[in-house]
Amino acid sequence: MQVGLKVWRFDTKTAERALKEYEVDAPEEATLLDVLDLVKDKVDGSLAYRRSCRMMICGSCGMRMDGAAVLACKTRMYDVAQAGHVPVISAMGNLPVVKDLVVDMQPFWDKIRAVKPWVEPGYEAPAPGDKENVVSAEQMATIHKESLCILCGCCVSECNSMEANPDFLGPAALAKGMRFVGDARDGQTVERLEELSEPNGVWDCTRCYFCQERCPKGVDPRDAIAKLGAEAIREGIDRDMGAKHAKWFVKSAKTTGWLRETELVPKTQGVVRTLKDVKFGMKLAKHGKVPPPFPPHVAKDVDESRSLHDIVKKQDQRGAQGIVQGERALGRIEPHHDTYAAAAERGPYGPGSFPKPYLPGEEGEETT
Amino acid sequence: MRVAYYKGCLASLSAKELDISTQALAPKLGLELVELESVTCCGAGDIQQAEPDYYLHLNARILAYAEAQGCDTLLTICNVCTLNLRQANFQIQKDEALRERVSANLSAVGAPPYSGGVDVQHFLWLIAQGDGYEKLKEVAHHGLKGLKIAPFYGCQILRPSKLLGVDDPDRPHTLEAVIAACGGEAVDYPAKVKCCGFPIIQAREEMALAELIQPIEQAMEAGADAMVTPCPLCHLSLDAWQQKLEKQTGRSFDMPILHLSQLVGVAAGLSDSELKFKRHVVSMKPVLEKLDV
Repeated sequence: MQVGLKVWRFDTKTAERALKEYEVDAPEEATLLDVLDLVKDKVDGSLAYRRSCRMMICGSCGMRMDGAAVLACKTRMYDVAQAGHVPVISAMGNLPVVKDLVVDMQPFWDKIRAVKPWVEPGYEAPAPGDKENVVSAEQMATIHKESLCILCGCCVSECNSMEANPDFLGPAALAKGMRFVGDARDGQTVERLEELSEPNGVWDCTRCYFCQERCPKGVDPRDAIAKLGAEAIREGIDRDMGAKHAKWFVKSAKTTGWLRETELVPKTQGVVRTLKDVKFGMKLAKHGKVPPPFPPHVAKDVDESRSLHDIVKKQDQRGAQGIVQGERALGRIEPHHDTYAAAAERGPYGPGSFPKPYLPGEEGEETT
Repeated sequence: MRVAYYKGCLASLSAKELDISTQALAPKLGLELVELESVTCCGAGDIQQAEPDYYLHLNARILAYAEAQGCDTLLTICNVCTLNLRQANFQIQKDEALRERVSANLSAVGAPPYSGGVDVQHFLWLIAQGDGYEKLKEVAHHGLKGLKIAPFYGCQILRPSKLLGVDDPDRPHTLEAVIAACGGEAVDYPAKVKCCGFPIIQAREEMALAELIQPIEQAMEAGADAMVTPCPLCHLSLDAWQQKLEKQTGRSFDMPILHLSQLVGVAAGLSDSELKFKRHVVSMKPVLEKLDV
């Protein structure tokens, strides 16, 4: 089959950027990586990209296809070629470009290192007569998904929080953090949770779920971040405004049932900071956006949600396990047939429908 | 179609205009809304991140009350409610041991048990496809006179797609379909699928504003007369926090923001008292003048 690609080239020496189009004849089973190999072999030997294992385990070939981060070796080109679509291939986002499709992974590695990705032994010596401590399957289940990470960086590429704050640890490092927070052998759980709850950590996540969507290995980094939040709050680590914000929702649910919106601001930010923003609040109030807290808006039968809270507390499911439950059953829900039909009619690659990559200097016409 | 109606926190109070316009619109679209009285907040992702097991129970309780009303569909009008309820529902439906424990706990506090028989559907999905779309086309005959509308999806109606699964997360089309059916012209811009910053707008305001400016700026550059969103949290962020962006950048945006139900409501000829545009921070006047309403 004939496969076309438009590749954003970047020349380090001249700092010039150009969109180059290539077309090669590739076997029907070819992946994006196979096609790039063919281009490099037969058309343009100067094309730069990273690759190694070709089987979705080394994590080298993360790049963007039409604005979405993918592993090139996992992405089959048959459907794209059949649709007559020529995808735009570019370097991953949120990391500096070195050359063509190669990004500098140093900031990524720095953040991974910052979460101390090794076990700090905290288990007791085996009982006399026992040779070793055994970690049970249940204990490992808590961090099974986080253990699947291949450090490819796809989750980081479209992270909206990291775009807004480049110092944010980001989904890969936080998922790695959870992998050790949840490890039964680790003795630094509380210290880790303290560190991960600092600014640039857990509470910087804006819950855009791009990481969950992009991860090619099913790590579900956003879920890992939620697990860290739950574990931190369970340990009483709640200094951050994000933690206070989350706790107020719990308080609201068990007292009135509905969110006590107006009180949420001082409960999150503190009274002093709230008062500084009083002019803003007044303007909102004029349009009914600041509902008076009294009398409170109370849900009918709210005693049920209060009692539920007591029961749940007594049953004492570990925070993280509340998110793990049922997770193994997660699969992809197939869209309804009529949705498929509508999408097919519209064409899978409608004009301008991809998020624009947002690396500095990359504001060119990268969307198709 | 008889559906259980879950309006959530914001539409109950600070975004009342969303609830009022949805209720006014529903009969015209053939939707019989069964209001749930005893339900609570879904937790907005915050309770999931603080006490996940409590989050599951609160959402199971909402689903249980819908089931007890004999409804097999729970209608949501907020992205965040949609994801929270669908995620809890999916976990409960697929994990028998969890379902039994949660149901037993619900019964113990006097709530109905939950057998897993409810499907959570966002209002957008019901009117953008199938019979609902046909109904929409009949109802929206007042048209939007070619008004240029920027669709803003927000996050939790698109991602994670394995839990939502109606729109393609990178190539969504439902809002565009609704805008077209209402006689408007959808403008395209890349940030329509990105985050509005709302979940961290109180804890990390600077970051949130750096996210918020993208859709507003891009919609303006694309020549939009107004933006429309299916989520009241995105609405609050885009509408109310827009003035903070103006203060921060020294620029004026004046971008009117419509709830989805208001956009359809205008096209369906709802009255002022049903649309409640006065409850918006950014004035809707320029849009209404163009529409000659």
